[in-house]
Amino acid sequence: MTVDIGSAGGAATKTRVFLTWEKQEHLVKLAILILAAVLSFATRLFSVLRFESVIHEFDPYFNYRTTRFLAEQGFYKFHNWFDDRAWYPLGRIIGGTIYPGLMVTSAALYRLMWLLNITIDIRNVCVFLAPFFSSLTTLVTYALTKEIHSTSAGLVAAALISIVPGYISRSVAGSYDNEGIAIFCMLLTYYLWIKAVKTGTIFWSAMSALAYFYMVSSWGGYVFLINLIPLHVLALMCTGRFSHRIYIAYSTLYCVGTILSMQISFVGFQPIQSSEHMLALGVFGLCQIHAFVDYLRSRMPKEHFDVLFKTLVSGIVSVVLIVGTVLTLTGKVSPWTGRFYSLLDPSYAKNNIPIIASVSEHQPTSWSSFYFDLQAKVVRAAFSFIYIHICLQILVFLFPAGLYFCFARLTDANIFIILYGVTSIYFAGVMVRLMLVLAPVMCVLSGIAISHLLAKYIKSMDAVGAKPAAEQSKRQHKKLEQQSGGVKSEVAMGFVAVITIMLIVYTLHCTWVTSEAYSSPSIVLSARSHDGGRIIFDDFREAYYWLQMNTPEDARIMSWWDYGYQITAMANRTILVDNNTWNNTHISRVGQAMASSEDKAYEIMRELDVDYVLVIFGGLTGYSSDDINKFLWMVRIGGSTDRGAHIKEKDYYAANGEFRVDKEGSPTLLNCLMYKMCYYRFGQMYTEGGKAQGYDRVRAAEIGNKDFELDVLEEAYTTEHWLVRIYKVKDLPNRGV
Amino acid sequence: MKLLRHTLLCALVLLAGCLIFAAAQSKQKGALTLSEKVQNLMEMNLKKPLLRFNGNKFREYVKNPPRNYSMIVMLTAMAPSRQCQICRHAHDEFQIVANSYRFSPSFSNKLFFAMVDFDEGSDVFQMLRLNTAPVFMHFPAKGKPKGADTMDIHRVGFAADAIAKFVAERTDANIRVFRPPNYSGTVAMVTLFALVGSFLYIRRNNLEFLYNKNLWGAIALFFCFAMISGQMWNHIRGPPLVHKSQNGGVAYIHGSSQGQLVVETYIVMFLNAMIVLGMILLIESGTQKPSNRNRIMAMAGLVLLTVFFSFLLSVFRSKAQGYPYSFLFK
Repeated sequence: MTVDIGSAGGAATKTRVFLTWEKQEHLVKLAILILAAVLSFATRLFSVLRFESVIHEFDPYFNYRTTRFLAEQGFYKFHNWFDDRAWYPLGRIIGGTIYPGLMVTSAALYRLMWLLNITIDIRNVCVFLAPFFSSLTTLVTYALTKEIHSTSAGLVAAALISIVPGYISRSVAGSYDNEGIAIFCMLLTYYLWIKAVKTGTIFWSAMSALAYFYMVSSWGGYVFLINLIPLHVLALMCTGRFSHRIYIAYSTLYCVGTILSMQISFVGFQPIQSSEHMLALGVFGLCQIHAFVDYLRSRMPKEHFDVLFKTLVSGIVSVVLIVGTVLTLTGKVSPWTGRFYSLLDPSYAKNNIPIIASVSEHQPTSWSSFYFDLQAKVVRAAFSFIYIHICLQILVFLFPAGLYFCFARLTDANIFIILYGVTSIYFAGVMVRLMLVLAPVMCVLSGIAISHLLAKYIKSMDAVGAKPAAEQSKRQHKKLEQQSGGVKSEVAMGFVAVITIMLIVYTLHCTWVTSEAYSSPSIVLSARSHDGGRIIFDDFREAYYWLQMNTPEDARIMSWWDYGYQITAMANRTILVDNNTWNNTHISRVGQAMASSEDKAYEIMRELDVDYVLVIFGGLTGYSSDDINKFLWMVRIGGSTDRGAHIKEKDYYAANGEFRVDKEGSPTLLNCLMYKMCYYRFGQMYTEGGKAQGYDRVRAAEIGNKDFELDVLEEAYTTEHWLVRIYKVKDLPNRGV
Repeated sequence: MKLLRHTLLCALVLLAGCLIFAAAQSKQKGALTLSEKVQNLMEMNLKKPLLRFNGNKFREYVKNPPRNYSMIVMLTAMAPSRQCQICRHAHDEFQIVANSYRFSPSFSNKLFFAMVDFDEGSDVFQMLRLNTAPVFMHFPAKGKPKGADTMDIHRVGFAADAIAKFVAERTDANIRVFRPPNYSGTVAMVTLFALVGSFLYIRRNNLEFLYNKNLWGAIALFFCFAMISGQMWNHIRGPPLVHKSQNGGVAYIHGSSQGQLVVETYIVMFLNAMIVLGMILLIESGTQKPSNRNRIMAMAGLVLLTVFFSFLLSVFRSKAQGYPYSFLFK
């Protein structure tokens, strides 16, 4: 497809056709764009085709639930929503603690569809939102690249971004998360910003402020954006490119954008207080000063101006320093937050966020609150790290080439894209998650590189090839040859072939990665049976529906926090902890219950009013991310607070220091609640041929404690493949019985 | 009768003398008394907070009673031939703890820090039935070390704080770890700024080079290569330079895609740089007037591009198992 672009942008020498030149070009352009947009939608549908239209993973379930609430109850109810289904007995204020952009977008789309009498289910809106927005992203990428470079580069970039895995990873159908729409918003803001810089009109900068508002409402990553744009302005000032256009663009964007962004209640007053936004403020001030100085310079004799300039500079620097210190000391400006630091100085993460370092180096793990924020992310990051480098393999070296091009021809817009590229590649290096931010700029720069190369070489191919056929005038031919640098057509042909092969490999590669790595919903699992057929494990939903159908409306379910969002969204029951993980002690309490012996756990469960307990168990199917494998986290977190001081991680290790569930395992482990719930009745099961009863396929061991009865719990439900087991907490026994 | 008494007395005296002599001799030759031991240890401690024992000294001061002091012993293998990278880190951390203890208020003659190197006291390792290093053990003042007296470095690590915590658990000596502040970063920064500043000052009349696009372009490109090849990952995780592969050779490339080696990143950086160079050659070959040089540039660029791209693909294949695509090379 991209080769088509080249030839379209290059030179279609035949002019004797029924469409005029421009019309042809428009048609090809339109066709390519539509194809790219459709492709980007279609390539994200693997999981829907393979499984069905479901929401993936954990966080998206929360987003789905809030969206449903918004669609049913309206915005004001949503804004004031206090959720009593989560964090029992604390509850959670939802309206003010989330970025509502995603939910509002899908609810609006939902309403719009119904208005047009398309009676679509809200779940389907949520599932297909991310692919839909990635189609839009394709179009915006085209527009952005066109502004920065040229139409043909824009088309290549659009084609590239439609299948770039770094972006697909967060936007497959069903992964209903903030990032899905945030990338679109980000690129839209950039596009409008470039437009504003180029034209210097208030209209475009106000538009970009609106786009910025949309971005703020949808993702916390807007901080990157509000630092990048000021950086661009700063760079323009340094290179002496500051002008009225930029003054207008930035001043408008900053004022309008900041006021708008403060309307999001989760953001609040951060834009004028936290130091992450200070660059934007500082550059805004600098803009005013620069413009003022320029004005003075035009009105004053040089000597006077020099004196004034020096005094002003020293005065302002000292005032800024004093004010900054005072504000920081009084705590008005919040001190540099940890996340920001970890981006600027990567070794900060190594020294202060134990989970990052502990993975490979077995460093001590003191439980800080960072852990909760990071665990899920780090786990995910470790997984997706595999694919980063390969994801971008072709873009990886097209990217520097594109960068080189931009340097060769510096303009205001090019400076922006260079800054974007360099900063985002730095951040992506620090944090795998930020690969997402890097992917678009890689596509843009690679698009520029490819289109340059293709345009040039295809020209020379045509020039030589056309000679005998069309008998063009010698002069024209010579001119063409000069343009193409006199490379022989064979070389040109070879080159085009190589580029084509590389692009084909890129396409194959992206499709492979998408289908292998990013297209499993993780709520429905699949495996290969012995005869090669595909087995689907749908135990999670089975269990959640069981809960919904068979438990009282106000039943309280205890489970490990990973499953919180899913239970509230699918079973509609009250849970104790969920993936939001804002309350350390509460999670710790649940961890203590799981790690204690039955009677101790019963006290905790009575205290927390638990009715049902849900555990995930993979011993029968070989599903390795089950609760027994997460159990050490529960012990650690459980033991990290005062009330859980009696829970010591050491007690759960066997004599030789290993974590094992067989006969050698520590007695504390073999008698704790989690163990009993997972392995209840498992001792009588044959799981694998040639192995004894009660053979755990994940830990590859025969379990150590087989014959036991539960005293305070009774088994309520176990799903088909034993993936989810639900227990009912017994009432207190009657007196005297 | 008198004679008998006399001889008896004589014999007694002789016996007593012999006994005293023997006792005196044995005292000189055999085990030191407690006070001597403590005194020796204190003297050694003044010179070096971390005592270095060989097999004999270990037996004398740690293994043999009498003792009224606890010993924290690190058993390690520091010789370069042992290739124990971790031992060096552990030694540094342990040294920090020992130093902190030496200059802390809780310093007393009840607790000492010592280390035994495998090459100086391999018999100690045999005696304690150890076949790994480093191991941190606590030898209590009374009785033999129990299971909990060996620090579980797999779980808690061996950072100075973890060691101090372990010591506090086993001996009640609370050590506040005091790390010597690391000025090297600051010094490097100051030097860099001074150099840049002075350079700018010297060239203050000719600052045009700051606006040199090529310079900035080269810097940006180099930065990109560094980031793409995962130098940041190296910086954060600190992987080893190379691995020993299973068949005894040296592995330059980490077998799984979860990790990487330092050399590997350089290789990838080089491959990427070569491919980009090829690309730039191709681009540049078109912009000048037609000539032979141009053609050569184009060809060279093409060759660089294809060859190194296929190299890169095969490197990825060796990392990501099951990756199906390759080009030119397997």
